[in-house]
Amino acid sequence: MVQGMKSRRSIIVFWALFLVPTLIIALIALQLLSHEQERINQSAINALSQRAKAVAQTIHITIETIQDNLQQSLLDIDQNRLETTLLIWEETNPLVRNIFIHRNQKLEYPVKGMESTSEERRFMERYDALFSGRVKFDFNSAPAKDFSVGSENKLQQLKKIGTFYTETAKYELVPKERRAASRKQLLSLSRVEKKKADRPSQAMGLNKPEQKLINRSGWIPWFSENRLHLLGWAQRQEKGAVYGIELELMSLLSRLIVDLPQISEQGTALVIMDGNGNFVHQSGRMIADKGAKPVKIISISDLLPHWRIAVFIDDRGFGATKGFLYVSMLLLGIFIVAIISGGVLLTRLTLSNMKDARQKTSFVSSVSHELKTPLTSIRMYAELLLSKRVTNEDKIQTYLSTIVNESGRLTRLINNVLDFGKLEQGSKKYQLENIDVDRFLKQIIQTHSIRIKSQNIEIKTLIEKGDYTIKTDKDALEQVTLNLLDNALKYAGQGKFLLFVLKKEIDFVILKICDDGPGIPKKHQDRIFEKFYRIDNSLTSQQPGSGLGLSIAKQIMNDLKGDLVFEPATPNGSCFIIRIKNHGTD
Amino acid sequence: MTQSKQHHFSTVISAFAMAVIFSLITGTAWAKSEYNKVICRVETDRTVLPAGDSQTTILKITLDAPAAPIHIKRPAVNLSLVLDQSGSMNGTKIEKAKAAAIEALTRLGLQDIFSVVVYDTNVHTIVPAQNGGNIQHTINTIQQIRAGGSTALFGGVSQGAAEIRKNLESDFVHRIILLSDGLANVGPRMPDDLGRLGAALIKENISVTTIGVGTDYNEDLMAQLAQKSDGNVYFVESGIDLPRIFAAELGDVLNVVAKKVTITITLPDNVKPLNIIGREGRIRGNKVELYMNQLYGNQEKYALIEVTVPESKPGSRIKIARADVVYDNPFTHSREKSTGVSYASFSSDPKKVARSTNIDVVREYQLNLNAMAQEKAIKLSDKGKKKEAVQALKQSAARLKQIGTLYQDKEMLQEADAIETRADTIESQGMSKKSRKILRTKSYQMKNQQLSQ
Repeated sequence: MVQGMKSRRSIIVFWALFLVPTLIIALIALQLLSHEQERINQSAINALSQRAKAVAQTIHITIETIQDNLQQSLLDIDQNRLETTLLIWEETNPLVRNIFIHRNQKLEYPVKGMESTSEERRFMERYDALFSGRVKFDFNSAPAKDFSVGSENKLQQLKKIGTFYTETAKYELVPKERRAASRKQLLSLSRVEKKKADRPSQAMGLNKPEQKLINRSGWIPWFSENRLHLLGWAQRQEKGAVYGIELELMSLLSRLIVDLPQISEQGTALVIMDGNGNFVHQSGRMIADKGAKPVKIISISDLLPHWRIAVFIDDRGFGATKGFLYVSMLLLGIFIVAIISGGVLLTRLTLSNMKDARQKTSFVSSVSHELKTPLTSIRMYAELLLSKRVTNEDKIQTYLSTIVNESGRLTRLINNVLDFGKLEQGSKKYQLENIDVDRFLKQIIQTHSIRIKSQNIEIKTLIEKGDYTIKTDKDALEQVTLNLLDNALKYAGQGKFLLFVLKKEIDFVILKICDDGPGIPKKHQDRIFEKFYRIDNSLTSQQPGSGLGLSIAKQIMNDLKGDLVFEPATPNGSCFIIRIKNHGTD
Repeated sequence: MTQSKQHHFSTVISAFAMAVIFSLITGTAWAKSEYNKVICRVETDRTVLPAGDSQTTILKITLDAPAAPIHIKRPAVNLSLVLDQSGSMNGTKIEKAKAAAIEALTRLGLQDIFSVVVYDTNVHTIVPAQNGGNIQHTINTIQQIRAGGSTALFGGVSQGAAEIRKNLESDFVHRIILLSDGLANVGPRMPDDLGRLGAALIKENISVTTIGVGTDYNEDLMAQLAQKSDGNVYFVESGIDLPRIFAAELGDVLNVVAKKVTITITLPDNVKPLNIIGREGRIRGNKVELYMNQLYGNQEKYALIEVTVPESKPGSRIKIARADVVYDNPFTHSREKSTGVSYASFSSDPKKVARSTNIDVVREYQLNLNAMAQEKAIKLSDKGKKKEAVQALKQSAARLKQIGTLYQDKEMLQEADAIETRADTIESQGMSKKSRKILRTKSYQMKNQQLSQ
């Protein structure tokens, strides 16, 4: 028991030594992996944000260019044909929503009342503060843009667009030529008036020297009813008319979004939001509703105040980069499983080795004990006889028979141990001969009847009529039978009878030995034929034994192509059935 | 009937038939030289007006589009189908829409150009603008459309317009057909916003026809978009009707006989324009300007204008209006003109005045007022004033009935009954999504004289 505790403790220590480092390694690896994953995720977000910035830049530059072009075009309008020109713009140019001419603090066009359309009426309401003079046209402008050096300015801008294209080319899924073409279409809408109109107006300026050319213009982002409107205005001469257009934002938007790159990755989305957080355009397949939380928000441009691009990404978006984590986790898992199964294997080996060692120790001590008991009796009786002090002839006879019996027992025991060695090595030799099992059984019963009867056990036989002559190894059979007989006397000594049954089957003779002892508990029945196995394996057990008898008997019977099986008897006791194979009589 | 009588009869008939055939031949010869002219008529609700004080009268400017000539190639069409493939389209709707789209494409010729754009959360051009040649490949592509996702309607129309724009310079009839069954939830979604998009598109001569399926789409948005771009509006309750609607719409598109139609109505100095009924136009001094993107063959389109006529003496006669129509003839590729003039005389005899009533003008005027009453009813019920909405409809029905009975006009009486029934339904069940859509669509179709419904 003490040894068992010790071994259990050593196993626990072993597992601790083994598991703790494994777990620590696993934990560290996991942490490193999740850090790495975090880094990869962050880089995915950054990449997407870069694209969002590129989109914002495209929008900004496009709107800026459009506004500059329109401003320039406004200034280039022939002042004598102001209203007609603007009206043609409104009628034909999809970028122009409304036009206005404001002169001497009064709105000259559109006119209030019946002659304006409902759209124009709403337009006038929208900009009432401006048209009524409460707010100045240039209230928001930094020094008005000077277009006298405009050509250079424009060149720079075009260059800017060019470089932008090369920068963002890698993100574009739309063919570049097409994009460039449709954007050119859009930009061409904003270049309405050609420069040629400049001359006559300048001439007009010269005619009236008191009217100084100032060429002021600007754009006003205007919020009305919580919506953004863009108004462009121009004024050529001091105290001259302020005129301009309202940009058709929906048309601009409609043309802009067609050009924006599509995002094909799963679980990602770029969403353009207006000032109220409404989704104006979405690129990417992720279902992002208003409740979803963007990972990043980028404001688009000061030309579209409060408009933003929101970057959305969900688990599926990271999914593409998660492969790394999954593969590493899998490898880590395999590593841990390999280590643990190795540990389990080692533990099992150790346990079975320990069990073997324990069994061998108990076997050696059992066998020594077994050898010692008959030897003590033999020696004692032999010494008594040698001293010649015993003169009673009957007593001498009893002593001598005890010596013979005990040496017989000793012989069987030694035979068993020797046979065990031979059987283990597979070197036991069998000598087949013809025997009559009926006679053989009767002989054994007769030889051992005194031993049996001395324990007050009655011998019963049940032998079916027939010829029991078969060819087998007589000594081996005797050893098996005696082993069973010894067991019966040892463990069923309190029983009332021993029953020997003999019957015939084709090619086999069945010898059954039954007792009415306590029987074998069910949980042990399966293991009684294992070597060294004893129901009570302690040295202090009531019955000494090596735990070899049944194991040897079964192996011998199997070697002889027969079998030995256990069968519980009713209501109590046990039966052992020996099936003896007939190897063909001569 | 005896044998001889029958014989005599048949000779008479054959002689008559000969005459008819002869006249037909000469008639077609005459018609052939005139086939491509849009006729412009200007009428007033009464040709004789009561003399006396200044008064209001109705002007109807009618454009009679001729039938498309049979022997001349029809104008080529640049068509973009913009299909909703959001999740709600799943099932019959998407299947029928696909079938209808394929059916429509097979009717296009080699000279036509078409593209197919689908939209859910995102927008995809599945068939970029191309000639009507490689139909089979296109059909396969359309067959693969699967429904799922949100509704990026604005993006869809924008992409459709981008496809149209690839061939904008050429002499095509440009048309986007938009199909949707749900609320736009990605991109601008206010009816006004889509209206502005329509207003921008018509400047490029692109019309958008909108087809609403089921009862969950936004009819105001669809009507605005079509109205501002001079397209048609349809409402179908289930996908089953889609092939019919597509066929009708394509019938219109393939039957365009005039493009970029501008109507300028010039009034004499003493006649003042008051109001344009049912259409959008501009009053500029004594001129009224209207624009239509196209006229379909055999279609009658008109505009109604309320004008005030000055005080006048009995027996006098004045010129009330002159209408000039300028349009592109797609068959001759030339800009053509047509003019109509209207005069009115004054009388103090009420009977004479009553007898001069032009029932045609009265009917269309009343039906347009009725359409406006429907829109008013929608507005009222949106504000939760169901009672007033029903009231407005019933009033309109009563007036139609009264005037219809007066002039024994079947059409007005029929419409009066229809509106009354609808008013009753709304009264008992409230303004259902379906009722609202019917009112919106019908009133639009009336105001716009939509041919196919």
